[in-house]
Amino acid sequence: MDSPIRGFGMTEASHDPRWRLSAVASLSLAWLVFVIAACAGAPALLHLDANLTDVAHSYAAPSAYHWLGTDGLGRDELARLLSGGRITLAVGLVAALVAMLIGTGYGAISGYYGGALDTLLMRIVDVFLSVPTLFLLLFLAAMFQGSLLALMLVIGVTSWLGPARLVRGEMLTLKERLYVEAARSIGAADGRIIFRHLIPNAAGTIITTTTFTIAGAMLAETALSYLGIGVRPPTPSWGNLLSSAQSDLFARAYWLVLPPGMAILATVCAFNFFGDWLREA
Amino acid sequence: MTAFVVRRLLLAIPTLIGITLLTFALLHLAPGGPALALAGEKASPAQVAAVTRALGLDRPWPEQYGKWLADLLRGDLGFSYIRQTPVVALIAQRLPQTLLLMLCAIAASIALAVPLGVYQAYRRNTFADRFLNVGVFIAWSMPTFWFGTLLIALFAVRLRWLPVGGLQTIDTPAFDWPSRIAHLLLPALTLAIVSIAGWSRYIRGSMIEQLREDYARTARAKGLPARAVLFRHTLRNGLIPFITLLGGTLPALFGGTVISEQIFAYPGMGQLFWESAVDRDYATLLGMTVIAGVLVILGNLAADVLYGFADPRIRYD
Repeated sequence: MDSPIRGFGMTEASHDPRWRLSAVASLSLAWLVFVIAACAGAPALLHLDANLTDVAHSYAAPSAYHWLGTDGLGRDELARLLSGGRITLAVGLVAALVAMLIGTGYGAISGYYGGALDTLLMRIVDVFLSVPTLFLLLFLAAMFQGSLLALMLVIGVTSWLGPARLVRGEMLTLKERLYVEAARSIGAADGRIIFRHLIPNAAGTIITTTTFTIAGAMLAETALSYLGIGVRPPTPSWGNLLSSAQSDLFARAYWLVLPPGMAILATVCAFNFFGDWLREA
Repeated sequence: MTAFVVRRLLLAIPTLIGITLLTFALLHLAPGGPALALAGEKASPAQVAAVTRALGLDRPWPEQYGKWLADLLRGDLGFSYIRQTPVVALIAQRLPQTLLLMLCAIAASIALAVPLGVYQAYRRNTFADRFLNVGVFIAWSMPTFWFGTLLIALFAVRLRWLPVGGLQTIDTPAFDWPSRIAHLLLPALTLAIVSIAGWSRYIRGSMIEQLREDYARTARAKGLPARAVLFRHTLRNGLIPFITLLGGTLPALFGGTVISEQIFAYPGMGQLFWESAVDRDYATLLGMTVIAGVLVILGNLAADVLYGFADPRIRYD
């Protein structure tokens, strides 16, 4: 087994990656279900309001009453964490949906028609990709700041480039299939071929890309909110809970720094792990 | 070779024009129109009218774009009415700091990602590889601003080894190397965390491909030590596609400076971009977007040329 040329040439034992990854993937799925349920049920579950201030008990350490302590204004951190999660998850899901709709349509048209149109459309993607995404995000978020819906749209319209490229690549191979030729021979229109035949057959790629896009959109929301241009206080989000964390650090309030960060990291990680498992499976 | 570089340059031109069109369109998206956006929200109607006249914003848009592009080619990126400074001067002051930070981040990424990727490829599918894979995925999913906050909590607040932020210690002479380096370590590591994860994953994949080649097994079988085969034979081949990846990571690194510079109060382009976004100083935002786009394209160009040098199989025609 441990031969001296182990590691070189085709010497590794074969294994089934699906089985190995499923442990991590099922853990990720369990975490996602738990987080979504907890955040959705937060108002019903908790005895404390996320915006109730209690200055007499500011920076209180975690206790039986305040499980995760309180912030500088005495607000319950667990309540803020859960209602912040609703916002962050909602932004991530809606923004990813917007990005996937644009990206899938754009990529499908580019890949299906090919030729000069494809070259032009992909050139446009190249242009967008040369500009740092965070620059575009900040620019648009500064321009249209205010509502949550605007934030979702801004993140959505800056996240469709990757999906567009992947869907286009998928279209390039799918459109050569026999069933496309068959559909065309019985007189199906381009629109019908793209939406009824090609896109459903690219579902695997599209679903996998969606999970990665949700993860990316959540990170975008938290980054913008951290920078003060995303979700506006007093509405909590996982990003803006952390924007005050740096000053909380000097008050030695570690319970305000660790939980929101862990929540973002674990949830983004779970989406990424799950997407990775989908891709391999 | 010259022909190859020239052709690459020519191919970059449409993308450059695209970037100027994109930023021009962004300006016109601004609520209240471009003149108000450039003059600033608190500008009086007279000031807005002056900006409109000075920039010809009352002319048809192809003419406006032509004038804007001509100014751009002369190195005139416009005037920040909010800061009362030419945008070029603002950028010239900040760009060197940011390029230094990005260079440090790239160095840190290479120093950590290459050994990690090579080790994982060599020990592929073992427990160590899978364990490191989980770590890489976590780094890949890391909210960078939180990672930076944790670094401050550990190294600046608890251990007091490194400064919390800034460019260098305030009371030191004009340019103080040890102090500058100490102030660069944490921001560079924060900026690098995502590329360390992305690159090591890429290098692992590309090294596995090389290690499976017959030449790798032959070299090992004829008695060369594993280390020699890994680093002298396979790594050279495995790193070739990585050069292109490096060029492709530039936009993300540029964007990342906004967060890293914000956490560590590092006075560079990223911080300027953030301040301009908060102040809605669109003139400065536009100038920086154009400059970043141009630098990214030049970086990709350099990567393409380097690729040609690194891989003699590439033909320049």
